[in-house]
Amino acid sequence: MSQETESTGKQITHGEPSILDRLRFARQDVAAKLPPLRGERIAYLLVSPFFVLFGLFLAFPVVYTLYLSFFEWQSVGQGNLFWVDFGPFYVEVPRIAELQFIGLSNYVRLAGDGLFWQSMFNTTYILLIQVPLMIGLALALAVALNASFVRFKGFFRTAIALPISANIVAYSTVFLLLFNEQFGFINYMLSQVGVSPIAWLTSEFWARKTIIAAVTWRWIGYNMIILLAGLQNIPQQLYEAAEIDGASRLEKFRYVTLPQLRPVLLFVVVLSTIGTFKLFAEPYVITGGGPTNATITIVQYIYRQAFVHWNLGYASALTVVFVGLVSAISIAQIRIGGDD
Amino acid sequence: MARIEIDDLTKVYDSGDESIVAVEDLDLAVDDGEFLVLVGPSGCGKSTTLRCIAGLEDVTGGTLQFGERDVTDLRGSERDVAMVFQNYALYPHMTVRENIGFGLKLSTKLTAAEISERVESVAEMLGITELLEDKPKELSGGQQQRVALGRAIVREPSVFLMDEPLSNLDAKLRAEMRTELQELQQDLDVTTVYVTHDQTEAMAMGDRVAVMNDGVLQQVGSPEGIYRQPTNEFVANFIGSPSINLLTAEVDGNTLVGPAGFSYRLSDTAPVEGHSTVRVGIRPEDITLTEDGANHATVSVVEPMGNENFCYMELGDHELTARIDPDLRPQAGEEVRFTFDEKALYLFDADSGAALKTKSDAVSPGIGTEVSR
Amino acid sequence: MREQRRKDAVWMFLTYAFILTMVVVMLIPLYWMIVAATLPQQEFIEFPPRLIPGTAFLDNFAALQERMNYVVTIWNSVFIAVVYTVLSLLLCSMAGFAFAKYEFRFKEPLFYAILATLVLPIQLLVIPLFLMMSQIGWTDTFRAIIIPWLANPIGIFLMRQNMRSIPDALLESARMDGASELQIFYRIALPAMRSSLAALAIILFLFQWDLFLYPLVILEDPGNYTIPVALAGLEGTQRIYYDQIMVATTLAIIPMAILFLVLQKQFVSGILAGSLKE
Repeated sequence: MSQETESTGKQITHGEPSILDRLRFARQDVAAKLPPLRGERIAYLLVSPFFVLFGLFLAFPVVYTLYLSFFEWQSVGQGNLFWVDFGPFYVEVPRIAELQFIGLSNYVRLAGDGLFWQSMFNTTYILLIQVPLMIGLALALAVALNASFVRFKGFFRTAIALPISANIVAYSTVFLLLFNEQFGFINYMLSQVGVSPIAWLTSEFWARKTIIAAVTWRWIGYNMIILLAGLQNIPQQLYEAAEIDGASRLEKFRYVTLPQLRPVLLFVVVLSTIGTFKLFAEPYVITGGGPTNATITIVQYIYRQAFVHWNLGYASALTVVFVGLVSAISIAQIRIGGDD
Repeated sequence: MARIEIDDLTKVYDSGDESIVAVEDLDLAVDDGEFLVLVGPSGCGKSTTLRCIAGLEDVTGGTLQFGERDVTDLRGSERDVAMVFQNYALYPHMTVRENIGFGLKLSTKLTAAEISERVESVAEMLGITELLEDKPKELSGGQQQRVALGRAIVREPSVFLMDEPLSNLDAKLRAEMRTELQELQQDLDVTTVYVTHDQTEAMAMGDRVAVMNDGVLQQVGSPEGIYRQPTNEFVANFIGSPSINLLTAEVDGNTLVGPAGFSYRLSDTAPVEGHSTVRVGIRPEDITLTEDGANHATVSVVEPMGNENFCYMELGDHELTARIDPDLRPQAGEEVRFTFDEKALYLFDADSGAALKTKSDAVSPGIGTEVSR
Repeated sequence: MREQRRKDAVWMFLTYAFILTMVVVMLIPLYWMIVAATLPQQEFIEFPPRLIPGTAFLDNFAALQERMNYVVTIWNSVFIAVVYTVLSLLLCSMAGFAFAKYEFRFKEPLFYAILATLVLPIQLLVIPLFLMMSQIGWTDTFRAIIIPWLANPIGIFLMRQNMRSIPDALLESARMDGASELQIFYRIALPAMRSSLAALAIILFLFQWDLFLYPLVILEDPGNYTIPVALAGLEGTQRIYYDQIMVATTLAIIPMAILFLVLQKQFVSGILAGSLKE
């Protein structure tokens, strides 16, 4: 080989370059003429599209919400904030909204807003039942599916995780009909075992339970998958050591599984709490927030204030409080559960 | 094919308010077709030097020349060099064929047919023809190694750079590949710079060996030359396995007085002229256990290696190692007497570590160029 | 010993009973939905409900299609989600690559800015975005639904984490082979990240597919509705066409469920990738 190539050198030419080759050569020629992009320049080129959008549509709106919460919204913006005119190149940046500064009034109003507190109560109520219920079931399922004697694990896991793919509004609509008081399947099942029909959607008590059931159904498989992965990361030797120490099934769960799973469990709890706190589509579709506002959630209330009553300033103040609460709860959970 | 000339190479890394000098004022010339091994402990600057030659790092100061070309400011791909990386760096999503041909495809005007032909002839040379359509993760370590070599060879570079290419192989394969690499390099006759931390590998493979420490080139020479005539204590200590025995001794007239009653009478006092203390070095193979030896030490462990025994002894707080005949089996705790030949003795300046005297016992081999620093 | 074996058998029985119960509970709503979609309206609201699928699916679908052109709605949702996923993948992997493999000024503060937004509920953005969109005249457009969410913090975070695992030597090797930095990105880094990209694609697709509040506020013309917005509207009409609603939900859920079955591995790694955040 070395003999052959040495004699022919780098100019071995045989066969006409194909179209693909020509394309390649052309691209090489163009690339050779472009200034080389190295070091910082290439980094800025790569990150700038992301950060332009990040700044415009994430960072700015966050700040603007806070700003808006000190104003009363009058109308959409009239006229321009400023404009740039270079003859053919003319850019105008419109005013976002016509606002009237009202200081802390929105926050004062919020403190005395009964419906806001009702929505807080509803959300908390749903959260306190739904999150433990769902994570308890998801954990039980994960442990069951992780047991060595269980066959057809793949099938069971798939079946339970299937709702992950269900569109939120679509599945909420299914639940709306499933829990219909006259012809819903649930009441039919109950009637078969002699239970009289339950007012799933029209009783304050049951409407919340319906929401809880729906959310749990949608997210149980999601959490189970995360927990299952966590369980599979627990070293088998720990169970063998516990076995030798004479631990019972329950003791193994208590002294090996739970402590080992703790970070994953914490993650799942934080994630589910935030998720349930943000609840909107399910009550919007299934109960419409009723009966008599028994299931209206915080986000739903913000939506109503903003886009039904057009109190955008007040809705922004609600949003600020809502975000503050979600962050505070997540941080508290991580603090309590995360100290290792 | 090209001669490499490195002048005053300096590389400084700035990290915040701290700057780290990785390579300092390095002068080195590698002859056309030569196999030069850069060796040193980790963090000594050998890899940085190689990366500067490759064009992967911008130099802080100094110049690099390949033949007549000044390549200091050229990008790696324009320097006509090929590099083999420690973990092979094979592109995981490409087949062996695509891996080997990638460089040709990007930076030459060869047609697809020509590239394919070159790739195939290189594959044949390395015996990996039947692996051409496989992905890297389907290959064994040795096969991946060959692909990495193929990728370097196919570009017919004027310089080969290798960064610890054998360190991921198991011991047996490593020894095989060592020989194979050397043969390959001889066949291709391409100037090669090879970096390793393993001094055995360096000694076995290099036409010449360059030893680095703390970013500074210590010595360049033939393997035998740096073993027998190290320029300083660091080189003497780094090269050779087991390591050279070193101890501090007072110069008392013509006698070296060491710890725990060690003493040695020099017949030639010229090297220690003007020194009150020196560092004494004796290679393990130069220590002879004999009943009429002038010095004594206590045996701590004997490791039988089969063809020879390593005898570890305590001399006060010092540990001495001796390579002795396999049939000599001193017991642990036994006190033995030993001696050595003055011609085999190394002496170093106690402060600077510079060599005052090196081996002079047998026919002097071709001594490599020493770096004046 | 025999005592132990009996206990084990009981335990196994209970475990299976629990799993099977849950499987049935999870599948009932989906099964019932399919059954309902195949029944004519009057049979659907009969009591006791039918449990065996009927044959009216196509009739129901035709009625639905006539009333609200649901095919266009599905197309809108798929189009938006696909375009969004592709663009966001590109953007996130470009920026993630820069964060993983290059040094540049403001790298740290920019990264912390992203981390900070990772926990923000997206509902927070709906009001200001709505105002911005009405001002630049994007209301009722697909670009208003797609563009604001392209800079996805989870996306860049995941790509950064994963791209850090690409060995530097791989990139240097490509550099020696004569690849430009952009070529290194799209010829080496992107293909090497194929499985991470697949997982992230699923996260992004589901995010956009499930987006409800925001399109509800932005989209006005029913011809532009996405599936969630259209479904929510269906239910609000005076006379409720249950059969049509069930056809619509079936068409929203079943294709995604099939996708889930086919790409289950990617779904799972997507979910787990999202949970690696800590």
